[in-house]
Amino acid sequence: MAKKFLQRLGLKDKLLAIIVPLLVLAAWQGAVSQKLCSELILTPPLTLLNTLLELAQSGDLTLNILASLKRVMIGFLLGGTSGFVIGILMALSPFLNRIFGPLIKALQQVPEFAWMPLIIMFLGIDEFAKYFFVAIGAFYPMVLNTYQGVSGVPEKYHELARVFDYKSFRYLFKVIIPSALPSIITGIRLSLGLSWMFVVGAELFGSDSGVGYLMTWGRAVFQIDLVMAGLILVGVIGFAMNFLLERAEKQFLLWREPVDGRPA
Amino acid sequence: MSNNKGTLEIRNLSKSFIVDNSPLQILNNINLTVTSGSFVSIVGSSGCGKTTLLRIILGLENHYDGEALMDGKQIVGPGTNRGIVFQDHRLLPWLTVGENVAFGLDKLNRKEKKLLVDEHLQLVGLIGFESVYPSQLSGGMAQRVAIARALANKPEMLLLDEPLGALDALTRMYMQKELERLWQLEKITMIMVTHDIEEAIYLSDKVVIMSSRPGIIKQIIDVSSSRPRDRASSEFMQIKAEILEEFHLGTEYTFAYAI
Ligand SMILES: Nc1ncnc2c1ncn2[C@@H]1O[C@H](COP(=O)(O)OP(=O)(O)O)[C@@H](O)[C@H]1O
Ligand SMILES: [Mg+2]
Repeated sequence: MAKKFLQRLGLKDKLLAIIVPLLVLAAWQGAVSQKLCSELILTPPLTLLNTLLELAQSGDLTLNILASLKRVMIGFLLGGTSGFVIGILMALSPFLNRIFGPLIKALQQVPEFAWMPLIIMFLGIDEFAKYFFVAIGAFYPMVLNTYQGVSGVPEKYHELARVFDYKSFRYLFKVIIPSALPSIITGIRLSLGLSWMFVVGAELFGSDSGVGYLMTWGRAVFQIDLVMAGLILVGVIGFAMNFLLERAEKQFLLWREPVDGRPA
Repeated sequence: MSNNKGTLEIRNLSKSFIVDNSPLQILNNINLTVTSGSFVSIVGSSGCGKTTLLRIILGLENHYDGEALMDGKQIVGPGTNRGIVFQDHRLLPWLTVGENVAFGLDKLNRKEKKLLVDEHLQLVGLIGFESVYPSQLSGGMAQRVAIARALANKPEMLLLDEPLGALDALTRMYMQKELERLWQLEKITMIMVTHDIEEAIYLSDKVVIMSSRPGIIKQIIDVSSSRPRDRASSEFMQIKAEILEEFHLGTEYTFAYAI
């Protein structure tokens, strides 16, 4: 009984999740076509769709998305990798933890966008500055989650490693990292998510390509539809990345969940 | 296999832990000799220091007074001559059954590994489960994998900390038989901690009775009846009565439940 009810509720939730946005879009379209609001200020959905299709046809869409994704990947690799390595070192060495710990905690209080003026001063607004900015965004979730995961490796696994004489890299790669993997993967997901936000931010500050650039360009030439199309792209791509990573996370951590139907 | 290997000699061993900044004595003047290839059980109430004693033999606890000698050499840390089956099976959840059994065989090549894994999964009756994850196993199966993992390393002494504690009565009795079979097959020394007096009598050459606060050895009882043992035999019952007596649980003490 209760189960059926929950199932129906779940289905209802899913339907609502589709119906509500559709209603909003319809109201939006209606408001503009009834002249309640100027088309120049609030581009109606159908026009937006058209803008996106035009961008796709001209090749601008792919070009700019690829430009952004490339920056995300490079920045994420830079920041994520250093976060990963420093997180592990901090968790394994009380000495390094004393050195890096307070520094990272203090720097964490600085809103990441506050780095922008400093980066521009030192690195300008060229590609490397953008990688660096994305790397800062990618660094924090990675260092924190890796640190937490590695310091949380249960004592019983450390003991097991001692009993079976696991040392140095073998110990790290076969016991510590696998045990910390759920945390590390969460770190990767958050880190990539922030990288995506940061790349758009970096492109808004000055760029000649990328999704953020599409939006600044739209604003400059007063093409609201371009700005809004950019917004939609940012949302959709961010959502897709998170979705894919959550799926990968589940697949990767299959061992965590007891599977129904035990073997006989 | 081993002729005189797998002996243990514990002399005047005492162990304290620091609790709230002051030492708390856990083990007090333990003396115990375990001969090669024998099966020894340690029984005693919870908290009397059984796990601590086993961890000292394993080499995980290094600060104590007295001596613990394995084959005549002072124990200074874990070593491949001793295997352990922890109270919690302690399988690594991200490794399959086969990979868990191979955990101690990392220095061998693939082929040698596979041979040993197959051999030991066969030994504990889990052929066909190589690629299953521990979360999919029942308690008894997980404990058997842990035993296979310990045995695959070819230890001269196997330490077992309440290995069957979490199992239901029937599985438990079946696993006791299995343990006896493995012990006879491998011809290695086994030291098992248990709560279960019948289990201790069924399996052991020697039952070590401990009492607590601080943990001392109260009595060591030799069991020499032929195997497999009959739990209903008068001899078995008599030894059981003798041990219960030690815990003040004999018939004349029915009202003095102390555990
Ligand atoms: N690392 C430790 N620090 C402090 N006290 C401990 C530690 N390990 C065990 N003890 C204490 O020592 C006593 C004996 O523990 P243990 O050997 O696990 O008992 P048993 O296995 O017989 O139940 C218990 O009171 C326990 O709380
Ligand atoms: Mg114990």
